[in-house]
Amino acid sequence: MKRTSTMKQFSLNSRSIMIFSLIVVAAISSIFFVFPETIKAQSEEKVFVTHTGGIVKTTGEIIDPLYVESTMEFDPMEYLRDFDYGKTSPLPDGTTLREYTIIAEDDKIMEVSPGVFYNVWTFNGSVPGPTIRATEGDTVRVNFINNGSKQHTMHFHGIHPAEMDGVFESVGAEGGRFTYEFVAGPAGVHPYHCHVMPLEEHIVHGLYGVFIVDPKEGRAPADEMVMVLNGLDTDFDTENNFYAANTIPFYYQHHPIQINTGELIRIYVVNMVEFDPINNFHLHGNLYKYYPTGTDLVPSFYTDMITLSQTERGIMEFEYQYPGKYLFHAHKVEFSEKGWIGIFLVSDDDSDSEQETPTGDTNEYGT
Amino acid sequence: MTQILSKKHQQETQTNMELDKKPSRAKTLASGLVPFVFVIILMIYIFGPGSELLDFGVPLPEVTIEMVDFVDSEIHTTVRNTGSIPVEIVMADVNDRIQPAAVEPDRFLERYETALVRIPFEWNEAEPYRIGITIEDGTRFEKEIEAAAPRLEPSLELIGFFAIIGTYVGIIPVMIGLMWLPFIRRLSKNKYHFFMALTVGLLLFLGIDSIEEALEASTENLASSFNGVLLVATVTILSFLGLYYSSEKLIQRVKDSPYAKPVAIALMISIGIGLHNFGEGLAIGAAIGLGQVALSTFLIVGFALHNTTEGLAIASPLAKEKKSVIGKLAAMGMIAGAPAILGAWLGGFMYSPFSAVIFLSIGAGAIFQVIIVIMKWLREENKNSFSSASIVSGIAAGMLVMYLTSIFV
Repeated sequence: MKRTSTMKQFSLNSRSIMIFSLIVVAAISSIFFVFPETIKAQSEEKVFVTHTGGIVKTTGEIIDPLYVESTMEFDPMEYLRDFDYGKTSPLPDGTTLREYTIIAEDDKIMEVSPGVFYNVWTFNGSVPGPTIRATEGDTVRVNFINNGSKQHTMHFHGIHPAEMDGVFESVGAEGGRFTYEFVAGPAGVHPYHCHVMPLEEHIVHGLYGVFIVDPKEGRAPADEMVMVLNGLDTDFDTENNFYAANTIPFYYQHHPIQINTGELIRIYVVNMVEFDPINNFHLHGNLYKYYPTGTDLVPSFYTDMITLSQTERGIMEFEYQYPGKYLFHAHKVEFSEKGWIGIFLVSDDDSDSEQETPTGDTNEYGT
Repeated sequence: MTQILSKKHQQETQTNMELDKKPSRAKTLASGLVPFVFVIILMIYIFGPGSELLDFGVPLPEVTIEMVDFVDSEIHTTVRNTGSIPVEIVMADVNDRIQPAAVEPDRFLERYETALVRIPFEWNEAEPYRIGITIEDGTRFEKEIEAAAPRLEPSLELIGFFAIIGTYVGIIPVMIGLMWLPFIRRLSKNKYHFFMALTVGLLLFLGIDSIEEALEASTENLASSFNGVLLVATVTILSFLGLYYSSEKLIQRVKDSPYAKPVAIALMISIGIGLHNFGEGLAIGAAIGLGQVALSTFLIVGFALHNTTEGLAIASPLAKEKKSVIGKLAAMGMIAGAPAILGAWLGGFMYSPFSAVIFLSIGAGAIFQVIIVIMKWLREENKNSFSSASIVSGIAAGMLVMYLTSIFV
């Protein structure tokens, strides 16, 4: 009772009440200002399936690089079996000249994963750049045009004269030109990349590609593909936010690579991951013959797991006996859970009625 | 230089005052509005079409993960856009591993807008998790959770559990502290002053403690764009001013009755402590809710010991009240202690860092206001001086007692 009388004395004072109520109103309204979502109306429900098969209903949107389809500017499926043999012409000494035109740019903003936009630096508009392919002994002539805003070069791994190394001859921005010319060799799979300082910056933004030198005697006909294992550091903290085979995270998981049972598969694999010291390649339900750097025609390993350091590369050959879906991924699980994972969809297709074009390409070079 | 300026300023204000002696209302209104008009013109100039003033610099996007709730097979993350530009949430991850997720209501966030990101994930209790949110330019923001604990769903059992904790931490200790009243009543004037000064020391400690907790909550969970320190300062001072003004009015009103003033002071103290205990309850509830601490009996004992001194603070001014004050005491004990229960409920079931900071700051302002009231009273009683052994040692003892009991918390 006494308490209420004191309270009455309180309430008698209109000014103090006013100030009190002002503070209370300000406090309450600020809480509403901070939590506007509670006022929003509910919308239609959507359903999605998690990676482990759980079903989740939501009234909002689904964000998932694995299941959300997105039209990518860069098509990893097209890149996979795309080889640039150049414009060929015979040289007086009877060897072949292969001419390529490579244009560097550094202003492209590309959607690298659904909703994630990243400034890629490109050779011929893509990351990785085109797969340049020649036969050992061919003369390779690359007309390099730098349309970027910074200096860039092309540095090929392989054997060539010092002035063709693309290190000390920076090619100026906004239309600088340089012609790289050398004899392709040794046979194998090599990377090429920009070699302008700061090197890390130029490489991680995407200025790299694959250079395949076929041995003169050729390799056995096969369904051939190129896989560049790369990472994307989208927030520039020297840690990769995404990993992938051929740039787009999870791409080959929701677009499985279709191959046939009993058909020889040959993968030219190049590790271009920066920041992380190693990467690896694990194949499910099978083992592969591995030719490190592809320089020897005799495989060094028969395994389902190889470890690759920076720019380490090689050739993998295998055949699937049983049809079905087989994963391939980094067994460094962090990488696979950030996108470096894919699926081979193996069809029981013994008949050779449906021949893939890449095999045709290889036939051109096979014996 | 500043003196000259201020003199000039004074002269100007004087002449203005003179000019304003016979103003028409319209003129006053107009002169008050003119600066606003110019502010609006300035805004239009800066933000208006064709203005390229703002094209300098790069505005950086920023999102803050304010809350992470662990529910049945899902991790719920509350994300707020705390940068200066709109953002789009495009990806979620757990421990830096990409996970599919749902964003509600949608992935586009305007400034200060929030979204709920639901990540289906079979989490394990008591394990640490790092929750990451990636926006459209690839920037990833992270929040670390020390130990996953299931979000508390309001159930009768839990409501009772929190009520019991609140009672242990708030009401019981305060009531025990109030039992010192008969003891204080028997004291000489000097010793009584000592106990009032002790109250000042206790409150001083509590006030600083509240501000520290508010700052801690703001740095841990509030985005930097809320200016946590300034938010705490502003709310503390506003609360102080509001309570100071209203308590002065209250004391003026009850001046005719000679014993009402101590009652008013005691009421002020209990309100201040009540707000503080509300904040404390929020902190305890939130800590249990967020799984940051395992609630041990030791913690409860610590809080109880600590809060017993709060009862003493309320009892001291009532010592000179000759009439029976048992009813008043009980009421004030409830005012001071019961908010801990309310705080525990709120903190445990619907914790929001923003409201925690606000309540702790209001509590701090209330406590400082009470300190001023008691200091004023002590000064009047002590012939306009604080330099008496009982006051100085009282404040010092109050601080020390609080510090020593705080070690148990």
